[in-house]
Amino acid sequence: MLPQFSYVRATSLDEALQHLGTDDARLCAGGSDLIGCLRDEVFECSKVVSLSGIEQLKGIDRIGHAGVRIGALTSIAEVASDPLVNRGFTALAQAAAAVASPQLRNQGTIGGNICQKPRCWYYRGEFHCLRKGGTTCYALAGENHFHAVLGGARCYFVHPSDTAPALIALGASARVTGSQGTRLVPMEEFYVPPSTDPQRETVLEPDELVSEITLPAPAPGLRSSYRKVRARGSWDFSLAGVALALQFDGDRVVAGRVVLSGAAPIPWRSAEAEAAITGQRLDETTARGAAEAAMQDAVALKRNGYKILLFKGVIEEELLKLTQV
Amino acid sequence: MRDERDRLYWIEGDVPHAPAPDQGPDPWGETKVVGTKRPRVDGYERVSGTAVYPSDLTLPHMLYGAILRCPHAHARVNGVNTTAAEKMPGVRAVLSGFTPDDAATAPHSGFIRTRLFNPECRYEGETVAAVAAETPYQAWDAVRAIRADYEVLPFVSDERRALDADAPKVQDEGNQVGDTQHYGRGDIEAGFAEADVILEQTYRTECEIHTPMEPHGCVTRWDGDALTVWESTQGVYNIQNTVAASLGMPLSKVRVIGHYMGGGFGAKLQPGRYTLIASLLAKRTARPVKLVLTREETCLAVGNRPPSNMWLKAGVKRDGTLTAFEYVGSGASGAYRAGGVSLLDWQVRDLYTCPNVRTELTNIYINAGPARPFRAPGHPQCSWALEQTMDALAEAIGMDPVELRLKNIPTFSQARDGRPYTTTGLRECLEEGAKAFGWSEARAATAADGDGHIKRGVGMAGALWGYGAGGPPCTVFVKVFADGSVNLNMGASDIGTGTKTVMAMVVAEELGVDPNSVQIDHADTGTTAYATASGGSKTVPTESPTVRSAALDAKRQILALAAEELEVDAASLTLENGKVVPADDTSQAKALSELRSLRRRRMITGVGHRGPNPADKVTCPFAAQFCEVEVNTKTGEVKVLRFVAAHDSGRVMNRLTYQNQVFGGITMGIGLGMTEERVLDGDQTGKMVNKNWHDYKLPTALDVPADMTCVPIDVPDPEANIAGAKGIGEPATIPTAAALANAIYDATGVRITETPASPLKVIQALTDAGKGA
Amino acid sequence: MTREGNDRDEQTRDERGLSRRGFLQSVGAGALTAAAARPAVAMPPGSAPPAEGERLSKVTLVINGRQRQLQVEPRWSLSYVLRERLGLSGTKVGCDRGECGACTVLIDGVPRYACMTLAVEVEGNAITTVEGLMQGEELGPTQQAFVDEDAYQCGYCTCGQIMAAEGLLRADSNPSLDETRKQMSGNLCRCGAYPHIFAAVQRAAELRKGGAS
Repeated sequence: MLPQFSYVRATSLDEALQHLGTDDARLCAGGSDLIGCLRDEVFECSKVVSLSGIEQLKGIDRIGHAGVRIGALTSIAEVASDPLVNRGFTALAQAAAAVASPQLRNQGTIGGNICQKPRCWYYRGEFHCLRKGGTTCYALAGENHFHAVLGGARCYFVHPSDTAPALIALGASARVTGSQGTRLVPMEEFYVPPSTDPQRETVLEPDELVSEITLPAPAPGLRSSYRKVRARGSWDFSLAGVALALQFDGDRVVAGRVVLSGAAPIPWRSAEAEAAITGQRLDETTARGAAEAAMQDAVALKRNGYKILLFKGVIEEELLKLTQV
Repeated sequence: MRDERDRLYWIEGDVPHAPAPDQGPDPWGETKVVGTKRPRVDGYERVSGTAVYPSDLTLPHMLYGAILRCPHAHARVNGVNTTAAEKMPGVRAVLSGFTPDDAATAPHSGFIRTRLFNPECRYEGETVAAVAAETPYQAWDAVRAIRADYEVLPFVSDERRALDADAPKVQDEGNQVGDTQHYGRGDIEAGFAEADVILEQTYRTECEIHTPMEPHGCVTRWDGDALTVWESTQGVYNIQNTVAASLGMPLSKVRVIGHYMGGGFGAKLQPGRYTLIASLLAKRTARPVKLVLTREETCLAVGNRPPSNMWLKAGVKRDGTLTAFEYVGSGASGAYRAGGVSLLDWQVRDLYTCPNVRTELTNIYINAGPARPFRAPGHPQCSWALEQTMDALAEAIGMDPVELRLKNIPTFSQARDGRPYTTTGLRECLEEGAKAFGWSEARAATAADGDGHIKRGVGMAGALWGYGAGGPPCTVFVKVFADGSVNLNMGASDIGTGTKTVMAMVVAEELGVDPNSVQIDHADTGTTAYATASGGSKTVPTESPTVRSAALDAKRQILALAAEELEVDAASLTLENGKVVPADDTSQAKALSELRSLRRRRMITGVGHRGPNPADKVTCPFAAQFCEVEVNTKTGEVKVLRFVAAHDSGRVMNRLTYQNQVFGGITMGIGLGMTEERVLDGDQTGKMVNKNWHDYKLPTALDVPADMTCVPIDVPDPEANIAGAKGIGEPATIPTAAALANAIYDATGVRITETPASPLKVIQALTDAGKGA
Repeated sequence: MTREGNDRDEQTRDERGLSRRGFLQSVGAGALTAAAARPAVAMPPGSAPPAEGERLSKVTLVINGRQRQLQVEPRWSLSYVLRERLGLSGTKVGCDRGECGACTVLIDGVPRYACMTLAVEVEGNAITTVEGLMQGEELGPTQQAFVDEDAYQCGYCTCGQIMAAEGLLRADSNPSLDETRKQMSGNLCRCGAYPHIFAAVQRAAELRKGGAS
């Protein structure tokens, strides 16, 4: 049962931003992550600022020749089924379809999905962990089955978003709006690793929000995909996932991005894997080489060594699948 | 029988009012209604939202209860400050071990053996204080405002370490629960000496939480000195018994009602402390109180299938003759005495013919919630070990796994002094199941698998459920009104298995009425006669003979009246569609409502008592399940493609609900085998880190195959009881996980010896064995 | 569907969607006796005592085609309001954390978890609960299909399953088995009636085509 809070339903972006700066106000886009955090008392919240009344934040439009703009309040289900997204941005459509459960895809928004709070059973549980202002990351010495093998430093959760790795792979940007104006942040630069600040997940300032996502027109020969290995067919977050966006010239990869989910506290772009395939013909040998390269710096905790094996398997499998598209 | 189960499921010994075996009616021959496929008689209520479950109940002036639970695995509560909580809006009562209330602070039951608010909390989730308030939100606000002073104590959360000399003590007596249990027959050394092949292997199954869809909970209301409890329960009389004893009340003053309930699987055979807390809060406030646990609370405090550690050594001759089983098992009772190893060796003892068997079971305390019976206690765990070992033995001697099992089918219960089974359908289960599955062809096909990284495999497992016969006491009334309409009055709960529907079919069979027209009163200690709880796969074999007896008693009386009125021999009359029909002249049929003598009496009441089970025989259900899987050897993902389940549970009473039970058992077995695992933060706090349905993973619609086939071995067991039925609920889940493990082995050549076979475990095992792609 | 907006039809029924059979029987004879001394067992909808000392705000919810005005706290979930304030207890709560689907309702025709939805957030949206699928006293086709195929055991997840199926069939009148499994994967069934649930969705698709609605 949720603790008390006050509630305002903003009718404009300006109104939402005014409230955002006050007290312990929290934004409610779809609410599926927020309500969970409030129920688990992950953070204090005296005021919920609902964005659901702001129509301008909803919908998917074409920009330019083949780019796409997605309003932050567009539901995950709409992103997954949208024809424009499916036509040019397969990885995003597949990632959106892999999110949580049907009902949560109907409720959750793309803006909320990329701004999710960490999914770590210590962070969400009754543990005053480092990220909540404590002194310890319980995962480091604890039950770390689902924790980071890359990018961990003082805090070892893995970023829960499926859409974020796909967006990074596709070169998307987030339009960030605050009381000082708006700025465009490449999704790749949107996340803050714990080595920089273990109590912050994104570059958003307290008075800022994501108002839309923009996707540039796909480069010629671009193929993309997203897949995650999960413990169950529904609800579950990624054990090991990979978003690929590769530009092919014949059977050669001329450029591309490989972004992992379930690996690190931020969606993890693997420069090593990209280097291993760029300029190469993609076959079993290069695919395996890329998978090995992606994991070369991975460090297993006590219970998550399997993840390194999973990543190698799923990266290889997905790279080879992309050659058959 | 051991541990708590006997008290929860049934009562041992003779029951005076049960008729002697030779006084019962003859078993059914052909049946018209029983054995058909019938939708439920309460289907309308269940799908329209009008079925009122205890958690749905809203009474006038009702308050909401909430419980403060100990957040530590082990702590002493040195004080509880409720001052702030008591002053909060809407709060009407606060109870704790530090408020003066005799009933609340006395050890409340021999059954749970602790104080309601224990000063020493031995597991995360023990009750510390409770609140009643106008809304549940206010109740939880108040719980959050209670300040408890905990002295955190050392804990042990892993039963594999709990018997170490330096392990913290859970109970003063130490961490072993009672003595190690030993069983033996034959000469184990001689058995191994004559074996051609001996294999040994350790196995483990993880702790499962029942988590029925409706959380545990109740609504309590006092009328003067009488208490009514609406409880989500498998057995209203179990609740009545414990609540009355705990509160020092006569049974007659405690009425428990449990018409609908949202699943139990063994976790709702008994009340919780919450039931007593709700009763005390209602008394304190003189208002009804609803107290429904949160999902998190149900993960901590209302039972589990304990983790099981097993070692099995087995010997076999080249011709498939089993020569010896040696088996050592241990399990976690939790923080209090419970069935941590209940029936954990039963399949090894009794499933297959083996003259030389030795078993040893050790029950261990840990600082975690106590175990409770969970759908076939001990059996699926033991099956995980035994059936994988049987597969390995078959491979070692170059025999088909089905063939090896067929070679070792017992006709008597070796573990019960050689008493014969009333029926043994294991052979039919194996043969019919293998046929329906296409076992030989499927094995040949998977053996010829290509060299791709997706591998197919098939596996199977046999099973028996050591109980499932039912038995007395049970009394049922069937009332026939003056207009011919019928009321069935029984104490049993319908926990979702379709009990009401099956019993209406039994009444219909005997009285010639439409099952949907039978009005049913049930699961209410205030209005029905005694029934044991619905559990142990004993509801159908207990209730259906009793209902049949009651219906026959009513029928006898009606036909006697009619015979007198029609001046014919009662033996020449039958009941059909609400009419008395003379066999030799159906045109003379007379509606019951036209019987003058019935109109004068206004009602005929038939009474049925459950007769005893045959003294010199044993009744058990048997099963064999077959499955096919696909394993991605790059990612460890296992896709279950199909299941075939052949079950001998005696007469099939309702083909539709029977099949549903079987599919449900398979689904739950997939959970044990592939997704479910309680995780305790063993190295730091002992707290459960996955006490919710995201992190504790139940199978979803995408994790079970749509392709499931139920093959009923529909052979009535007339010696078992006058309905010829045995239980189906529990056997349906026993062999599933082991069959999956065998299929994964067939696909990959790697044995998964510890549950769950999730990608986490499978990819690691494949890699360790050098079989990863 | 013609249900929504059909206020007249609503008024011919009991507020709880209880009519032909149901509540009193389930509560037991003793409650009937008690009802003589005290008001009836089911609290009249909307008459629950106000939550004292709380910040209440007035909202208008459109539930099963009918406008309902009530005072709520901002933190109250839609599932709490439906079940405990309005007596619409067909919407169940299994987890209160968006992890089981027992509370599934349609919001503007789309399945959502009522436990994860603040009541204040859905002011102005069309909310459909299982009670809203009834056609007078008769079951709607999706409900009937669940009975026909025995697509439940304990029944506690069932109304949520039915609402998920209803949402699926409104969007796709002829879903494939794969699509059915995917769209039904946001609803747990601990009893494991999934194969029968899949069959019920297929059956419901047929019943709906047969003009049953």
